[in-house]
Amino acid sequence: MTKLLNSVIVLTVWCFSPLVSFAQSPIEIANKIDELLISETAVSQTTICDDETFLRRAFFDIVGQPPSLEDVLVYGLEPSVNKRSLLIEYLLTDKTYGTNWSRYWRDVIMFRRTNDQSLLGVASLESYLTDALNHGVSWDRIATDFITAKGDIKEDGRAVFIAAQQGRPEETVSEISRIFLGIQIQCAQCHDHPTDRWKQEQFHELVAFFPRVALRPQQEPRSFIVTATDFVGRRRSPNANNRFAGTLEHTMPNLAEPTLPGQVMTPKFFVSGQTLSTGTTDAVRRNSLARWITSPDNPWFAKAVTNRLWAELVGEGFYEPVDDIGPDRIPSAPKTMDYLANEFTLSGYDLKWLMQTIMSTQAYQRSSLDRRNYDQIPFQANTIQPLRSDQLFDSVMSVFEISDTGNEGSGLGPRRAQSPRNVFADIFGYDPNDPRGDVAASIPQSLAMMNSTFINEQIQARQGTMLYRLLQEVQSNRAAVQELYLRVYSRRPTRKELNTSLAYIQNVANRDESFEDLLWALLNSAEFKTRR
Amino acid sequence: MNTNQINRRSWLQTSTTAVASVAAWKSPIIANANTMRTNAKACILLWMGGGPSQFETFSPKPDHANGGETTVTSTAVPGIQISSQLPATAAAMKELCLIRSVHGPEGSHPRASYVSHTGYLPTASVKHPTIGAHVTQHIGDQQSELPSFVHIGRSRGVFTAGLLGVEYDPFILNSADQMPANTELLTSKNRYVRRLGLLENLEDDGSKEGSRQFIKANRNLYEKASRLVLSPQMNTFDITQERNDVRSSYGVGNFASGCLMARRLVEAGVTFIEVASSNWDTHFDNASRTNTLCQEIDKPYAQLLTDLKQRGLLDTTLVIWMGEFGRTPRINSRAGRDHYPRAFNVALAGAGVRGGQVIGATDPSGNNITDQPVSVNDLLTTIYDALGIDSFHENLSRIGRPIRIVEDGEIIEGVF
Repeated sequence: MTKLLNSVIVLTVWCFSPLVSFAQSPIEIANKIDELLISETAVSQTTICDDETFLRRAFFDIVGQPPSLEDVLVYGLEPSVNKRSLLIEYLLTDKTYGTNWSRYWRDVIMFRRTNDQSLLGVASLESYLTDALNHGVSWDRIATDFITAKGDIKEDGRAVFIAAQQGRPEETVSEISRIFLGIQIQCAQCHDHPTDRWKQEQFHELVAFFPRVALRPQQEPRSFIVTATDFVGRRRSPNANNRFAGTLEHTMPNLAEPTLPGQVMTPKFFVSGQTLSTGTTDAVRRNSLARWITSPDNPWFAKAVTNRLWAELVGEGFYEPVDDIGPDRIPSAPKTMDYLANEFTLSGYDLKWLMQTIMSTQAYQRSSLDRRNYDQIPFQANTIQPLRSDQLFDSVMSVFEISDTGNEGSGLGPRRAQSPRNVFADIFGYDPNDPRGDVAASIPQSLAMMNSTFINEQIQARQGTMLYRLLQEVQSNRAAVQELYLRVYSRRPTRKELNTSLAYIQNVANRDESFEDLLWALLNSAEFKTRR
Repeated sequence: MNTNQINRRSWLQTSTTAVASVAAWKSPIIANANTMRTNAKACILLWMGGGPSQFETFSPKPDHANGGETTVTSTAVPGIQISSQLPATAAAMKELCLIRSVHGPEGSHPRASYVSHTGYLPTASVKHPTIGAHVTQHIGDQQSELPSFVHIGRSRGVFTAGLLGVEYDPFILNSADQMPANTELLTSKNRYVRRLGLLENLEDDGSKEGSRQFIKANRNLYEKASRLVLSPQMNTFDITQERNDVRSSYGVGNFASGCLMARRLVEAGVTFIEVASSNWDTHFDNASRTNTLCQEIDKPYAQLLTDLKQRGLLDTTLVIWMGEFGRTPRINSRAGRDHYPRAFNVALAGAGVRGGQVIGATDPSGNNITDQPVSVNDLLTTIYDALGIDSFHENLSRIGRPIRIVEDGEIIEGVF
């Protein structure tokens, strides 16, 4: 596992030579956010978390894995007063930042797929996102890439967004609206939206940007290609079984009289009212839609991702669920939300800036608590969250000091499931779009943690394992327990925990066995499986 | 057999001419039906993944070119004929209600499978619960040490509880011939219990005010998981405990083992079991490949019904045989049949279903339904009704939208 903070010098160097300069100082904006938040909520009597907690939290949130033992020791020794800011800046330059967040966005998109064949493109989707995030590609560019994508899903990850919905226009625009605007306009597909202002017609006007898009299969090598149909001559007969070809225009079905032909829809963006005429080419339709969606004049674009990242980092969104924010929802701190979204827009939709700003707030750096009840004040604490499958997998690998073989598998079904990371994901994966409070653990998850051969081999104190090395190197039981806690939880044991552990070790009267049991217990605890 | 059922059946048979008395009789019939249906305790879904050919299974058309080479056999019920490749099933015909007029909205495997399991077209915004999840939520035994919903066999997609949450997700057995993953203790039982005790003590020590939610949830889960792995009922998952003659009565193969496992699970109080058979997607060499598949399922299917009946469990267990769609009447140039959602077959048995009958029909070519069309949602509504579940029951989506178990379905007339 990566040891990110190799020496004290690293952080100190950072202090004097930041590699990235941000237009608006994240720290100043963060201070302003804390002021606004206090002014509009009843936040009071909060505590800031200790450095050990902060280190582990920041590692999970930025690079998706826990700090190594060395990282914990180095960070503890670092004397700078602003070492939290330095850590955030430093981690944002590590390439595992891109890996971690590409997996997050992959899950945002792929957990809602209606087409399993799009899994063929998962590796290319991750690789596109990793590169884009690490290179600081702006959020409007990423959104535009997904909306306007064409091409082979195994080669170009941008095309996977559309392939995940099989190129079906209704589902594709629903996902664009949900992810990039936080608006669930698809509820207006069959009737006017029951709780929002959207009309059925407005949904179908949005669909009218996508009728020409199609998803064509390719045999050798097996893949799928996002294409567009701009000529009638090439159009194949419509077929309910697939979406190999598009249609020139979108027709809103007449639900009252399904046998009647329905109404041809003009492309019109429901937020701004901007329109195109029928007959417009696919390229112009999709480029226009991308431009209008990502325009600074459209407040939903910045709000949706700001709210989402705030929810991931602070543990609770201003709006919950994160993908249902507008326009008739009321956020828990509207001024703070709008201010942050506006500053994010001014940053040029810079996601690293947004991360750095949120993580610099006191709201982020507070001690953690369980998810609040709805009658309690929001943002009193950072909310404890279950780790995502990849974070947990990397934690396990980190504790055992073994590296992921990197074989993520590229096939479908059983072939895909073979890599250890994917096996893990099948058991521990959850949809990050769902309200985090609704995400529950399952029995197969506890069975895998407590009773799988993989874990049980690695917790044994026999040659080749981390525990073996630890027990060889550290003779004192007390010191060995302390180090084990540092390795598994990135913190020292409390006095009570230490006593309980030592009493257990004495009781079992077999050093190897008792330490194996202790490691088993730590790995199976709630603390190990959560980010706090 | 349940006496209510006999009465009802004889009444239904004699009353076909006595139309005038229907109104007078209606309410007691419904009352009886409800009593009986709320007795249903379990459901087994035999899933024929890929879409089985109706012409080579339950709707042979030997007198039409579309019927191909397939020959027919008489069944235990006079007047009902099915493919001669299903002799054991033919002998069990008295238990079966064949529906020859099911139609669905989708012709692609994943979408049609989703529709058949959930009653809805797939959508990005709502993950609809699969049949087993609804059934388990409504009639599952909360006290059971075994999981209430078990899925047996690898299939294209295993459907989940979706918006109902992981509590109602299927417990997956990749094969009925192996114990479920990670359920065999890797240490002695004493050491396992000792470890659990250590975990509990340490979590008591380390937990702070306001951060006990996950610890509590974790503890509950580990208690449940431990009850499972330490349960004497884990033996249920070991089909080698069956006598050899019983095992051979089910035949051989994954599906045979799955059916035997399903019977054992029902006996042990499990509520919903899905047994997956695959490879029914016969775009080429349809007849010979379907015949092979029929051999794989014929004995296990019939023996499952026989066993359940012998044990008095068939009255309370609904057994469903279905796939995502049927296959084209026209035989293609590779001697195969393609996807055909416009008319296909489903068979129901047990839980008050009136066996020995056929519902619906297609024309001689097999192209069109000529009698009593049954939509997938009608079928699902009927299934839920057989299990005493109100299919109009609403669950809330993540964004608070009410979602019925089934929209727009009607109970299929004559099934009960």
